[in-house]
Amino acid sequence: MEAIQTFAKPKIIKDHWKAYLLLIPSLVTFVLFMFWPFLYTVYLSFFDWNMVSPTKEFVGLQNYIDVLKDPITYKIFCNTLIYMALLLIINCAVPYVLAFVIDLVLSRFKNFYKGAIFLPSVISLVVGSILFTWLLNPVSGPAAIILGWFGIEMPVWSKLDGWVITVLSLITSWKIFGYNFIILFASINGISREVIEAARLDDIPLWRIFFKIVLPMSSSTGIYVFIITIAQGLQYVFTPIKVITQGGPNYSSANTIYHAYHEAFVLYRTGHSAALSILTMAIFLLLLILEFKFVERGIHYEN
Amino acid sequence: MKTNPLIGLSWHLVFIVLIFILLFPIIFAVGTSFRPLEDAYNNVLQFIPLHPTFENYEAFFTSLDVARIMMNTFFIAAGITIFKVVTSFLAAYAFVYLDFKGKNLLYFLFISTMFIPFAVTMIPNYLVLSDIGLTDSVWGVMLPQFADAVGIFLIRQSMKTIPPSLIEVAKVDSIGHWLIMKDIVLPLVKPAVTSTGIWFFILAWNEYVWPVLILKNVENFTLPLALQMYISSEGGTNFTVAMAVSVITMIIPLTLYLFFQRYIIGTFTSSGIK
Amino acid sequence: MKPLLKLFCVFSVVLLMAACGNSKAKEADSPNKGEKTVIEYWHVNAETQGGKAVEELVEEFNKQSETTEVVAKYNPDMYKGLMQNLQAEAAAGKSPAVVQVGWAFLDYFSNNFQYIAPQEVIDAHFPEDKTFLKDYFLPNIMDLAKNSEGKQVGIPYSLSNPVLYINKNLLKEAGLDENGPKTWGEVKEFSKTIKEKTGKFGFYLQEPADNWATQALLESNGAKMITDGKATFASKEGIEAYQLWRDMILEDKSAVHLPWDQGVQSFIDGNVAMAYTTIAQRSNIQDNAEFDVAAIKSPSWGGKEVRLPAGGAMLAITAQDEAQQKAAWEFMKYLYSVESMAKWTEGTGYVPPRKDVAEAENGLKTYLEENEMMKAAIEQMDVIVPWTSFPGDAGLQAEQLLLDVRDQILGGNVSVKEGLEKTEKEINKLLK
Repeated sequence: MEAIQTFAKPKIIKDHWKAYLLLIPSLVTFVLFMFWPFLYTVYLSFFDWNMVSPTKEFVGLQNYIDVLKDPITYKIFCNTLIYMALLLIINCAVPYVLAFVIDLVLSRFKNFYKGAIFLPSVISLVVGSILFTWLLNPVSGPAAIILGWFGIEMPVWSKLDGWVITVLSLITSWKIFGYNFIILFASINGISREVIEAARLDDIPLWRIFFKIVLPMSSSTGIYVFIITIAQGLQYVFTPIKVITQGGPNYSSANTIYHAYHEAFVLYRTGHSAALSILTMAIFLLLLILEFKFVERGIHYEN
Repeated sequence: MKTNPLIGLSWHLVFIVLIFILLFPIIFAVGTSFRPLEDAYNNVLQFIPLHPTFENYEAFFTSLDVARIMMNTFFIAAGITIFKVVTSFLAAYAFVYLDFKGKNLLYFLFISTMFIPFAVTMIPNYLVLSDIGLTDSVWGVMLPQFADAVGIFLIRQSMKTIPPSLIEVAKVDSIGHWLIMKDIVLPLVKPAVTSTGIWFFILAWNEYVWPVLILKNVENFTLPLALQMYISSEGGTNFTVAMAVSVITMIIPLTLYLFFQRYIIGTFTSSGIK
Repeated sequence: MKPLLKLFCVFSVVLLMAACGNSKAKEADSPNKGEKTVIEYWHVNAETQGGKAVEELVEEFNKQSETTEVVAKYNPDMYKGLMQNLQAEAAAGKSPAVVQVGWAFLDYFSNNFQYIAPQEVIDAHFPEDKTFLKDYFLPNIMDLAKNSEGKQVGIPYSLSNPVLYINKNLLKEAGLDENGPKTWGEVKEFSKTIKEKTGKFGFYLQEPADNWATQALLESNGAKMITDGKATFASKEGIEAYQLWRDMILEDKSAVHLPWDQGVQSFIDGNVAMAYTTIAQRSNIQDNAEFDVAAIKSPSWGGKEVRLPAGGAMLAITAQDEAQQKAAWEFMKYLYSVESMAKWTEGTGYVPPRKDVAEAENGLKTYLEENEMMKAAIEQMDVIVPWTSFPGDAGLQAEQLLLDVRDQILGGNVSVKEGLEKTEKEINKLLK
């Protein structure tokens, strides 16, 4: 609770209009370009529409029923969870550990490592996807050739369940790893050195220092990275999915974000896509509420 | 500080491998951009070209007004960045230092915008912009992107790590919020603001899905749209030219990062109390 | 930092308003530039695939026309991307004058967008062209642009058909006839021999996000994708044809199952001996392959009649007002002149839809003499059939189901018979 308690009541009224003044730019943008489309999508989810015809047919909850009855929906939700898990491990857990290591374990080459790790982040995922399609061609690409030297035949990853999600996650991670890493590093770097040194002098092992000191003290950033990896990671994976597999093979690489796009802009089933988007958002909002209620309390903000 | 040198060495090894994986594709891309297409197909591993050529870059520069496209991209990216950073900073400040009705609800709503899939916002936004007559213009690309919850989120997290005691001192002296914002809070969250700004710039610079809907004439294109002109599933992608375009696209964000690196990895004084 | 930031803000806002003002002025939708009618032409031709030809044709047309000025707009992501942009335009109440519509979207387009049949425009304003379409286009070609109700929606423009590209060096190395296989049975044998003798893969059949090549494979064996509005591809002939492909991949392991660009890449760099894909890939393959490459006609099934779906697109007139419609036909007529058609073929690899272009002196005569690879595609023109688009609103979903089952079958998750029959039933349920 950051409410400044030393102030008398009148100040709070004054705060109101100041607060709204500061919030208006963001608020207006969000209302016009986020909330309004969202409401419109809710509206669309009750209709059968193919994007262009002037008439929309009202179908009530039929779209929702169709989505919930469709076995593909569950496959896609499953994929979405797998993506989330992979992305979190690669882009939240791993950079956390590595940032810690660079800050407190290594003493040389730090700046070089940091710079090099961030480099792929500046490149668009469209470029990344085209690049990796070439590099990871299972028959003729450089990776396949090198593996061939060791007698290993590269699996056709874009046509194999499991492999396809893994490779697409890795391609996406190639881009987002760097940013998360830098943010976490800055946060860890900002932890007071005295506390760390004191712990070291007390012979506390590094892994303990990580879990008991570093993690809690950087948790404000940690939770940020956690949440945006989920929210943005899923949106970022969209690009490689669209460029390389278009959700295939047989929906093995589609997640809810891609599938909503696919339904609307490839199959022109606008109502169905809208229902899927709303259901997805409902789930995420639920998770977000849980985060607000439980996690925010546990986060360390200075004092 | 007793660090086992072997541990140090193995960690270094981990980083070397990591960096190799991260950088190799880029080196490959740059190398490939200087090779003729036939060569790229047939001598796959030879990514450092023996006979470098500028033909891919030539093809790009002669077929499109690259300078104009770069300017478009820069305007859009810079515009979006400035607007997003400013609105995010102001909003974050309000959420952290001011108390008002509906604060938590509003914050929750703001953060929830991060989860709205863009398939949801694409067409309605296009309709709105078309009604105002802003299709095929830089404003059309920028308008829906004046604010971003991601920025608000990070800057807020950063502001919350500032000890309230600092602010209390200022408030006791009856210094207005404006000055507090400007002279106390802003300098302390500079790393967060700068890294947010850089990230927004990079994202806006590379953005594809929204601009491709809004922009129509080639002269208004941005670099990612220009890249699409060399990619064709039907006729086969001209991979080497695509790499040349990608390299050109990479240069500005890269330079920006190298320049601003210090701010991001900025050193904090241990508690920020000056 | 804050005052600097403020200054930056103001500065940028000013600059941006200037830029905005600039592009807005250009965008000001005045359909009349001076005396000329300005029309928009939407195409999908990237730089690597006809983009230059489009620019040249548009430039030359604009130079010689006193009444019309054409502005070309490139749409990324091929015909699908163009459709998306067209939807957005339509939702905003606007439309370009001339568009390229991919065959897969023929029905969706004619059901949902405002267009005017070219013959109507001709009859109303250009009596001298009354028999233009009848005179210069073969009936089976014009039929391609008829929707499921028999209405002539547009005129075929970019035409492609599937050919078999062969790596003569690899064929020779495996001791096979370097003129390539003539039947699908031979394709399977050749492929197996190549894998055994050279270790390289023998065959690749294109796998884009459509069922074009699959249709060629199945219908050449006598199966029909649709009969009387119902899906009928799971017939004995259809299953037999699909089985051959599947067996090459999963049993012989001589054919490779890859996404389209990786498959073509592997052919070009010599790792796959034969590739069944569109003639539109000709220049990409021809320019970059370092081996002796040829393009031969689509293989047949024994003595059965080969049936090849047309690829590419048609031109349709979506202009709403009369002046624009007249200008649209003027431009289209120019595009269908012998010289323009020849230029189009040379720039894209597409086959000309107009019948006298191939032999004409000012057409493709010399070009074809020098470019053997186009010959097969042109000779196959008489067996061209429309690319099946499933009718009705669920048509695109039906296509998607076929794509899904393709991955299931080729991945070994379901048998050919079961997969095709199940999908056929599902599609017919959708088509109601």
